[in-house]
Amino acid sequence: MSTVRTSNRPRTRLPILLAAASLLMLCVPSLRAQDWFKTETSSGAPTIRLAAADFKPVSSDPQTAPFKHTFDTTLFNDLTNAGIFDMVSKSMAPQVTPGAPNEINLQQWSAAPASAAMVAFGSFSVQNGRIICNGYLFDAKNAQYPQVLAKQYNEVASEDSARQVAHRFADEIIFRLGGGVAGIAETKIYYVKLAGGNKEIWAMDYDGANQHAVTHLGTISISPRISPDNSRLAFSSLGKHGFQIRMYSLLLNRAVSFPEAGGTNVSPAWSPDGNHIAYSSSRTGDPEIWVSDASGGGAHRITSFRGPDVSPVYNPKTGAQLAWVSGRTGLPQIYIMDADGSGVQRMTDGGYASSPSWSPNGQYIAFAWNRKYGPGAPGGQDIYVMEVSTKRWIQLTHDSGPCDFPSWSPDGRHIVYANSADGRAAHTRIWTMLADGTQKHALTGPGADMPNWSWK
Amino acid sequence: MQSSRLASPTSASSPSRSKSEDAAIATQLQYSRDTRTDDKLGSNLVGSLVLHGIAAALILGGAYLFRSHRPPWGENASTAGAIQATMVSSLPLPPRQRQLDTGVLTSEAPSPAPLIEKEKTTPPPDLKEVPIPTKAKPPKKVAQKETPQPPKHIQPTPPQPKKAATGETAGIRVAESTIPLRNGTASVSVQDRTFGARFAYYVNIVNRTVAQNWYTQEADPVASNGKRVTLVFDINREGVPSNIRIETRSGSPTLDSSAVRAVQRVEGFGPLPQGDHITVEYSFDYRRQ
Repeated sequence: MSTVRTSNRPRTRLPILLAAASLLMLCVPSLRAQDWFKTETSSGAPTIRLAAADFKPVSSDPQTAPFKHTFDTTLFNDLTNAGIFDMVSKSMAPQVTPGAPNEINLQQWSAAPASAAMVAFGSFSVQNGRIICNGYLFDAKNAQYPQVLAKQYNEVASEDSARQVAHRFADEIIFRLGGGVAGIAETKIYYVKLAGGNKEIWAMDYDGANQHAVTHLGTISISPRISPDNSRLAFSSLGKHGFQIRMYSLLLNRAVSFPEAGGTNVSPAWSPDGNHIAYSSSRTGDPEIWVSDASGGGAHRITSFRGPDVSPVYNPKTGAQLAWVSGRTGLPQIYIMDADGSGVQRMTDGGYASSPSWSPNGQYIAFAWNRKYGPGAPGGQDIYVMEVSTKRWIQLTHDSGPCDFPSWSPDGRHIVYANSADGRAAHTRIWTMLADGTQKHALTGPGADMPNWSWK
Repeated sequence: MQSSRLASPTSASSPSRSKSEDAAIATQLQYSRDTRTDDKLGSNLVGSLVLHGIAAALILGGAYLFRSHRPPWGENASTAGAIQATMVSSLPLPPRQRQLDTGVLTSEAPSPAPLIEKEKTTPPPDLKEVPIPTKAKPPKKVAQKETPQPPKHIQPTPPQPKKAATGETAGIRVAESTIPLRNGTASVSVQDRTFGARFAYYVNIVNRTVAQNWYTQEADPVASNGKRVTLVFDINREGVPSNIRIETRSGSPTLDSSAVRAVQRVEGFGPLPQGDHITVEYSFDYRRQ
């Protein structure tokens, strides 16, 4: 019926078509603006609801209260940052501080509003200048055998060791409940600190606490890379002969020798066994990827392409592959190859991609990507994660200013990166987020760049 | 004379006849000599004598004039009898093979003999130190008392409560954990029931980890709706699943394979709190959203 009517009156179709076209025109910019969307592949399995009770002070030492406050805060933050727990807010938790297994009433915790499946509690005291801490983890829903974990810590009393004890207890809980993946509360992040005109290498705990300088070279040092055993720090430093790879021993607290080479030598990367270093060197004129021993001997080139080849990174799972940035087609793109330089494969299909970081399980590569690079193209540099086998990617940061230098945490659940809200280098901060792009928060103030998460 | 003797080979056989012939030849030679050279013999003899005299004088005089003034070889008293000779070993021959003095076989030096300690004689035990066993007294025997027999009649059992008591006692933990998912339910039970009761949290972690790795969109939503698949797998001491097999097929191959893949995706559940392996039964219930 209706089709017949419209065919009979062709003039009425024109305004309808025009209206439809204008509607489409209106829709196009909004479609373009939202070219990303959040997908969820999880099956909806809930995370473990965990309550961390305030620990019970069991000594009258005046130091107990401040240290216990540090401990409680650090423990709660570590468990929150782990990203695998649904933490019971402190305001929801019962206002009790059970200090021992016989003092806890599990029903109090398993009932609403706490509704906790697990409770971490214990006692904390300072005696004779030592912190003595008993920590327990109880299954609130198992009245018969509730105990999951019991730990005792005895450390010298200090603010730092109170935090370390909390980190260690949190790592135990995460290891036990997180499927055997070790926690990251005791890991470190090495980064570049802008100090005046110089850049020095600094280090901090994973949560941004305890920030301190590592090098005092009075020059420009960039791209710190910590060795897998946490004993050495490789970085690139501007010296008399341009940028050279430098090596700093964290055990000796001094620089150790690394042979200099001609040209610009930047972006070192450790192999997961700690025996090799890959870096970019332009000693032959063109920046290429070179691989040498950890001491710098036996350097040999593994790429020979026109255009720069920089920022190598090993596959931490196997050590048999390298991802790097090559500019052979103009703008830099992410490539992967075998460790001997064969089997080259291009990963990104365009734009401006840089600073790859391979995830600890070897499945993903995080990198900074400006997909619409060039004059007149609105695009920002953001952090992306790509699955290596399928080359499917997701975007993790949005509309927060240029982001660069992603680095995976050793548990593969977090990514740390550098972000500058207004694009100025002096305002760059180090941020952390979960590997799905949630729970972003800044770790440092402005002037921190190029983070590198330690291997363990 | 010789030539004449050789010219008569028969002379040896007849010595009497040859004596007369020799005399005849000699007279013949004597005769011919006298006739030809008798006048020149004197002057030639003198000349020969003078020439020989001069030659002898020249030899003797030369020997005297050019005699050596140094002492003759080997007559010096100090070096007499000590003749210097160069040894063959000092010739610049190629170096001999390196001699290892450290090795027992290559070294020429005798290796030190092992220290042999003198055997010590153990002093005889002090007699007073040896305890003299005392005879233990046997325990006093006591006659066994007979225990009274229990009463024959059966004790009445208290009646079982017909309703489940809630709130009064803690519920008994069943070694099974069930998680509701968006697309169904995942439940896990451990075949070792004491493990499941004692470490219920671990069973929960197994359930949760597998459920998080179950990509429900892999299963065909129409064919799998309302179906249930049950897997059985082992977890070793390190918490790594292995030996995955399908216990009960659901009838939907996509649901079966998605369930198997969910377990295969898991790298580990964390080390077992007890024992070296457990066997887990895992059920997926698919319900269309």
